[in-house]
Amino acid sequence: MAKKPKIKDLLVESACSHSAAKKSACNTQTPGATTGGCAFEGAQIALFPYADAAHLVHGPITCLGASWETRATPTSHRGHDFTQMGFTTAISTNDVVFGGEEKLRAAIDYIIENYAPQAVFVYATCVTALIGDDIDAVCRQAQSTYGIPMIPVHAPGFVGSKNLGSRLGGEAVLAALVGTKEPEVRTPYDINLIGEYNVTGDMWQYTPLLEELGIRVLATLSGDGRIADIRAAHRARLNVIVCAKSLISLTRKMQEQYGIPFISLSFYGKRDTSSGLLAIADALGDEDLRERTRTLVAREEAWLEEKLAPYRRLFEGKKAILNTGGNKSWSIASALQDLGIEVVATSVRKATEDDKEKARQYLGESGVLMTNPGTEQAKIIDQTGAHLLLAGGRSLYTAIKKRIAFIDVNQEKKKSYGGYQGLLNLAEDIKNALENPVFNIVARRAPWEK
Amino acid sequence: MGEVSRKPGKPLQVNPIKLSQPMGAALAFLGVNQCMPLMHGALGCASFTKVFLTRHFSEPIAIQTTAVTDITAILDGGDYNIVESVKNITAKVAPKLIGLHTTGLTETKGDDIRGVAAKIDFPLVHVNTPDYEGGLESGWALATRALIRQLVRPTDQVQPDKLVLLPHVGLQPIEVEKIKEFIALFGFEALALPDLSTSLDGHLGHKQGALSGGGIEVDDIENLADAALVISIGASMRDCAQALREKNPAMSVHHFDHLHGLEVSDALVELLMQKMPATEIHPGVKRWRMRLQDAMLDCHFALGQTRFAVVGEPDQVAGLCQALTEAGGRVTLALTTVDAPQLAPIKATRVLVGDLEDAERLHEDYDLIIGNFHCEALALRYHKGLVLRGFPNWEQVGNQLKNDLLYEGGAYFLCEVANAADHQRRHEAKG
Repeated sequence: MAKKPKIKDLLVESACSHSAAKKSACNTQTPGATTGGCAFEGAQIALFPYADAAHLVHGPITCLGASWETRATPTSHRGHDFTQMGFTTAISTNDVVFGGEEKLRAAIDYIIENYAPQAVFVYATCVTALIGDDIDAVCRQAQSTYGIPMIPVHAPGFVGSKNLGSRLGGEAVLAALVGTKEPEVRTPYDINLIGEYNVTGDMWQYTPLLEELGIRVLATLSGDGRIADIRAAHRARLNVIVCAKSLISLTRKMQEQYGIPFISLSFYGKRDTSSGLLAIADALGDEDLRERTRTLVAREEAWLEEKLAPYRRLFEGKKAILNTGGNKSWSIASALQDLGIEVVATSVRKATEDDKEKARQYLGESGVLMTNPGTEQAKIIDQTGAHLLLAGGRSLYTAIKKRIAFIDVNQEKKKSYGGYQGLLNLAEDIKNALENPVFNIVARRAPWEK
Repeated sequence: MGEVSRKPGKPLQVNPIKLSQPMGAALAFLGVNQCMPLMHGALGCASFTKVFLTRHFSEPIAIQTTAVTDITAILDGGDYNIVESVKNITAKVAPKLIGLHTTGLTETKGDDIRGVAAKIDFPLVHVNTPDYEGGLESGWALATRALIRQLVRPTDQVQPDKLVLLPHVGLQPIEVEKIKEFIALFGFEALALPDLSTSLDGHLGHKQGALSGGGIEVDDIENLADAALVISIGASMRDCAQALREKNPAMSVHHFDHLHGLEVSDALVELLMQKMPATEIHPGVKRWRMRLQDAMLDCHFALGQTRFAVVGEPDQVAGLCQALTEAGGRVTLALTTVDAPQLAPIKATRVLVGDLEDAERLHEDYDLIIGNFHCEALALRYHKGLVLRGFPNWEQVGNQLKNDLLYEGGAYFLCEVANAADHQRRHEAKG
């Protein structure tokens, strides 16, 4: 069993180009002026999609009660879909006073007996970390009893942000799972998908294309993932980080330990999907594969262009403002541009330095990178005559006041916008938003205000 | 009334329905106008609550966190985090009140929030809400009691037509409004504490502020003690009524375990008639009572052949079971989140403190589930009818506009359930 991860090491990531410039940016927390999730939440996000492993949250009811069955992360796993189940020790005052290890042990026994998972992730939370429950020891003991991996996840909420938690989740997998099993077969085209959680089935928009090219997804962290696969992930030829920064520590360490190179890309929009596929082919370094990929990309783009033609006519001259976080500040912008929509502004409030650079690249010199979108977006709508606002629910009123179309890209996302097919979904949603009269009608003055 | 199993026979919860005390407290503070709930804990507690409530109400939710970190978790008694939070909140927005409450983390480290609160020169109500005790219902009740104890000014005067309503957490915003309106028809001016009916009722306001938009005014809370009548709804709110009475012994305090169904609605009317004898019964009240009678008869065919599982917080389950039972529905399983005194009188064959795994084990006992959206997977797996009620419901919009209470809401509720039961039967018959 590995020792606990060192938080400091994770906060300064050598493979992260801006980590030297920003002092522990991933862990800044201001009392009374901070939003966003905690480390536990981040670890959950990274690991919950393993559908054949039980995820046992050792803490009071808050941590799991409000967070299970939160995301639509579909799985092809037959049998119990543990991504949509919640397990928690739901500790009580008694456990806080006398310790929760006994209960944790019993909970693991119960899960093994009733659900027969391939592994159990045990998540420490603030309270159980503070009272000092030794989840490592409990896991070690249970693993020797049952002979399946028991993985302690040391990401109690108070150690930091969601981003750090995802890293800690990755650390737990690296320490306890990766390299513990050999794959049944190996191919020269084995890759791992890292940081792809298959939210709304995003991953399935492009994995059939990889398959067609003969590229095999050996393991994922963790969309549609299986424990047996990630245990053999050390035999991959390439790690592909999909649209995420948080797991770069993991891929960097896998490069150091197992010599697996990594690339980072996005599958949002036509350009990014195409260049992503080509980048994978390039990295695998096989000329024949490259050629096949070029042919496939040309075919898919031609197919997509034909499908998009009617939308393009409708979107001509349309301008959009994008107010979202992280990599979405550029990845959705790029997808919008692929649809022929001009992106006049995007929010970079929660973006990393890398993300900001990319956003600048995509939007060009004239595009506004908003650092305070709450106040800026209304002004920019007036200045640019934008027709469309894509943002989280909080910005809805801005759209109503300005009588422009609105798409909720945070809470309401139930459809996949990933890959070529996903871009069509996005086009259809934007079309519906632009044609919907509701914003004009809702913004009418009341009879008694006239 | 059936067998009550209070102790879960297992060391964990699988697919829990239980929610935490801090979340209940935060929700209560959102029922006070221009209030900022401040959760004293790590980032996640507030973040989960914010996302949870935002999705349930489809509204922006104001809440802040003291953002306790690994350093302050060990070194600080809460002073730094709380004082800094108040400073940072007030630098940006101007709340009329800050609702400070604890979490499991800060309770475990033993922060003295009362002591810290005394040092802060800003209107603030504090309450201890460890999440390893109680649940959503008790968190809401504890915050309400704290609002009463720390804000309400004692008096010995009463205004004969002033009434205070203390609703439990399971009542939807529109239900609180409907009760207030109903009571107003008898000549009372009703104030609800907390009052989500004007803050989270899903109205399009003038702007989406950073604070709660609507709810009872802080001034009104301070002046609650001169109400002649106090009505608490839900067993969890009894203590709050007592706390209010301590501010003015002249108050007349009355309690209802719930306001679901014909019998209890009649009981409320009797009480109001007795307290305001001169009032004519409003024609609308009479009309809705007749509609409910009719709905009960129209629905009894469908309900009488249906076995129900009702899942949720104890107070809400108690009410829903009563409404169903009156029209012939048999509740074979009442599943609640926490142990509570009100479980014994619940009208169900089996009352269980447990989780959805327990409901799954007993799936042969019922035909239709009434509960939160986590019940959907269960209903689909075992081909059960489903009516969504309680926290959270992320699948549907309009949660805050669902009214199941008194004559009017009761009629709508029974029709909705009867239709769902019939639909399920037809669907199942077709295979």
